Amino acid sequence: MSQFVSNKKSFIAALVAVFLTLGASAYGAARTSGLWWMPDAASKSGVEIDQLTYFIYYLTGGVFILTQVVYIYFLVRYRARRGVRATYSHGDNRLELVWTAIPTAIFIGLWGYSNHLWWDVIHTESPPDTMEIAVTAYQFGFTFQYPGPTGKLGRSDVKLISTDNIFGNDRTDPATKEDFQSGVLELPVNKAVRIRLNSKDVIHGFYIPQFRIYQDAVPGRTIDWVWFIPTKTGGYQLACSQLCGSGHYNMKADIAVVSQAEFDKWYQEKVAAATNAAAGTPPAQSK
Amino acid sequence: MAETIAHTVPGEAHASHAHHPELSFFRKYIWSEDHKTIALQYLFTSLFFLLVGGSLAMGVRFQLAFPGAPVPLIGTLLPSWLVTSAGAFQPGGYNGLVTMHATVMVFLVIMPLLIGVFGNFLIPLKIGAPDMAFPFFNALSYWLFFVSGIVLLSSFFVPAGFPAGGWTSYAPLSSHAEYNGTQAGQSLWCVGLFINGLASIAGAANYITTVINMRAPGMTMFRLPLPVWALFITAILLLLAVPVLSAAAAMLFCDLNFGTSFFSASNYGQPLLWQHLFWFFGHPEVYIMILPAMGLVSEILSVNSRKPIFGYKAMVWAMVSIGVLGFIVWGHHMFVSGMNILLSATFSFSTMVIAVPSAIKTFNWMGTVWGGSIRYTTPMCFALAFVSMFVIGGLSGIYMAAVPVDLFIHHTYFIVAHIHYVLFGGSLFGVFGAIYFWFPKMFGRMMNETWGKIHFVLAFIFFNCTFLPMHNLGLNGMMRRIADPMLYDHLRSQQPINVFVSVSAFCLGLSTIPFLINFFYSIFNGPKASKNPWRSTTLEWTVPSPPGHGNFETTPTVYHGPYEYSVPGMEEDFLPQNQPAPETVKLAAH
Repeated sequence: MSQFVSNKKSFIAALVAVFLTLGASAYGAARTSGLWWMPDAASKSGVEIDQLTYFIYYLTGGVFILTQVVYIYFLVRYRARRGVRATYSHGDNRLELVWTAIPTAIFIGLWGYSNHLWWDVIHTESPPDTMEIAVTAYQFGFTFQYPGPTGKLGRSDVKLISTDNIFGNDRTDPATKEDFQSGVLELPVNKAVRIRLNSKDVIHGFYIPQFRIYQDAVPGRTIDWVWFIPTKTGGYQLACSQLCGSGHYNMKADIAVVSQAEFDKWYQEKVAAATNAAAGTPPAQSK
Repeated sequence: MAETIAHTVPGEAHASHAHHPELSFFRKYIWSEDHKTIALQYLFTSLFFLLVGGSLAMGVRFQLAFPGAPVPLIGTLLPSWLVTSAGAFQPGGYNGLVTMHATVMVFLVIMPLLIGVFGNFLIPLKIGAPDMAFPFFNALSYWLFFVSGIVLLSSFFVPAGFPAGGWTSYAPLSSHAEYNGTQAGQSLWCVGLFINGLASIAGAANYITTVINMRAPGMTMFRLPLPVWALFITAILLLLAVPVLSAAAAMLFCDLNFGTSFFSASNYGQPLLWQHLFWFFGHPEVYIMILPAMGLVSEILSVNSRKPIFGYKAMVWAMVSIGVLGFIVWGHHMFVSGMNILLSATFSFSTMVIAVPSAIKTFNWMGTVWGGSIRYTTPMCFALAFVSMFVIGGLSGIYMAAVPVDLFIHHTYFIVAHIHYVLFGGSLFGVFGAIYFWFPKMFGRMMNETWGKIHFVLAFIFFNCTFLPMHNLGLNGMMRRIADPMLYDHLRSQQPINVFVSVSAFCLGLSTIPFLINFFYSIFNGPKASKNPWRSTTLEWTVPSPPGHGNFETTPTVYHGPYEYSVPGMEEDFLPQNQPAPETVKLAAH
């Protein structure tokens, strides 16, 4: 019997060791090839959200370690032993009160913190120079519409969305005529951007992990409360993260966060191309 | 350990039901109205569905580790909606696997295992009743469940195959054939869930009536064993939540097939209506799938610690408040759905509040093992693991309750990790523990302890190797339900973690084999079980294993609460509910 028990123990130990090694090398491989933890936050609110995430991370981590250490101590200390009887106890009301009150206080405090931040991230007025960009999601891609030289995006209405007019542009609004479309989300760094989010067909997700942003695009309604300030130049990917059909796995768009100067250059080219197209001349090459 | 338990009392089983007339084969095994037979029907059927759902999960994990690789062995045999001509999964077929894995596990495995099996088997036996209040209804409930399973799985054989809109089936993807491309499969999904709902409603009405009306003399509500309380509250949740899903499924069916527009963006329809209806059912559903496991685990912990449950009344009130609050937290699934953002604050608050009763229960379980005399039997190992896994699943839930953090991790693998810690490490570990624990009463034989321990150790290790790294993948930005993570810049470097997770998942799948062998071998060849092999106090252990038709020779009388273990001044360390305490002994109030 003892032979068997020790074999069993070494078997379990070997199993745990093998899987720890495998797990560690998987993480090692992920780490050397780049990302092994949260991608660096690249937006202003993303940094604040990370502070809350880490706060919860240390809070829950602490609670986990504390409860498990006590629990495992109990499991070892109170294992069945010959001649030792269990304590006869139906509970303790004072203890119940303590471990009801403390979690309640923590949870309500956490709600206060997170709700405050939520207010900051979404409800606060965006700065006056915020650029508004319309985003339409469809099976299976994203298209972006930028305001023309007036800086104001034309009116749109979800009721007007059709195959020919995926943004639901209201063509009676003169501002609409100046707007131009892009397949890449080009953004100037450190400038606030507000998203006017629509969907042509089913629900899609507007998800940028580095910006810590996720919002569903819902057909039949325009969602205009999401805004953010990108803080790091570079290339990112916008991913659809709401199951939207057979092409969902590959529904994405490129994001380029560039300096204001580079953005202005790109913007001028796009505006010129759009004006030429409207005038009937062939469009100049642009990105 | 196991050696301390009296296994065998020869000749005792099968002794008490000679006076009932012999039933025909059909009435005994097919259309049986005996709650114990119905429980076993549920058990065998849902274990079969567990294998189906598990195989679908293996397919999902294979695709995520090796996207585009042909499926070994069976690849070329699979239908063309699922795989390419080379035998590799198609993206659309992958969505079908994901959808059906979750649908099968929720509606055909976890719910029937917890509620169908243990609700049916334990409620009458634990309250001292001869059977359920409506035996005919009970048999009907099982067969409706059976039909719903056949309908759901038959979608494998229809054109375009499995429904592919996720188990949440968000409209208008699910409600328009031109968007989902799986009209037949999605229609069968609606019909299957509707029938499944009828089965749940019939069962729930039965459980509620039985608990209220058929308790033995002396069995007051606050003397009910905790599994009965848990199943009673669950039945009330079922009765209030499931009709909403049934109605929504019927509306979806009409949208899909008859051109109505309940959930369309046009014609005054409203896509978000589906989400509100679905989650109004869906969140209570989460508690429907965990409360019974909490009840079963509470009892296993108490019996194997040889201690009364710590804070019996607190446990009951915690479950009651989870049941009530469970109906006002559904919006936390919809923080990013486009619903009015002011609602997020209220749903976030109610979600934080519902965490409190869960915390109370955890502390009470720890209080139960404190000062105990813990026997490490297989059911106890699963019950102890349940507590730790539930702690992880509960703590990771706090991330989603904080709206700004949810902005980041919503619809990522963090959520996948969270629900599997609750539903696999929680519910399914609870079910495994309960099967090992009540097996002797169900079949009159013991399961093998050594193989039980092997099952436990393998399941515990591989479960954690599979699902712990998923938290990491989610925080790193890996979306749910994408067939090929290699297509995204920020996910490519994490592929080694995906491979590790998949290998662990395959091992987790294989770890079920010792359980199945042990289970089926022991039904026929296990050592005979005595009336009360675990030296337990509740009423089912006062009758032979397995109990005869009608359960009790004479209606038992109940004298005290359910968990009188290690009462000072008594020679035995347990006092069954049908035995009055000796005059020299004073029981503490609970």
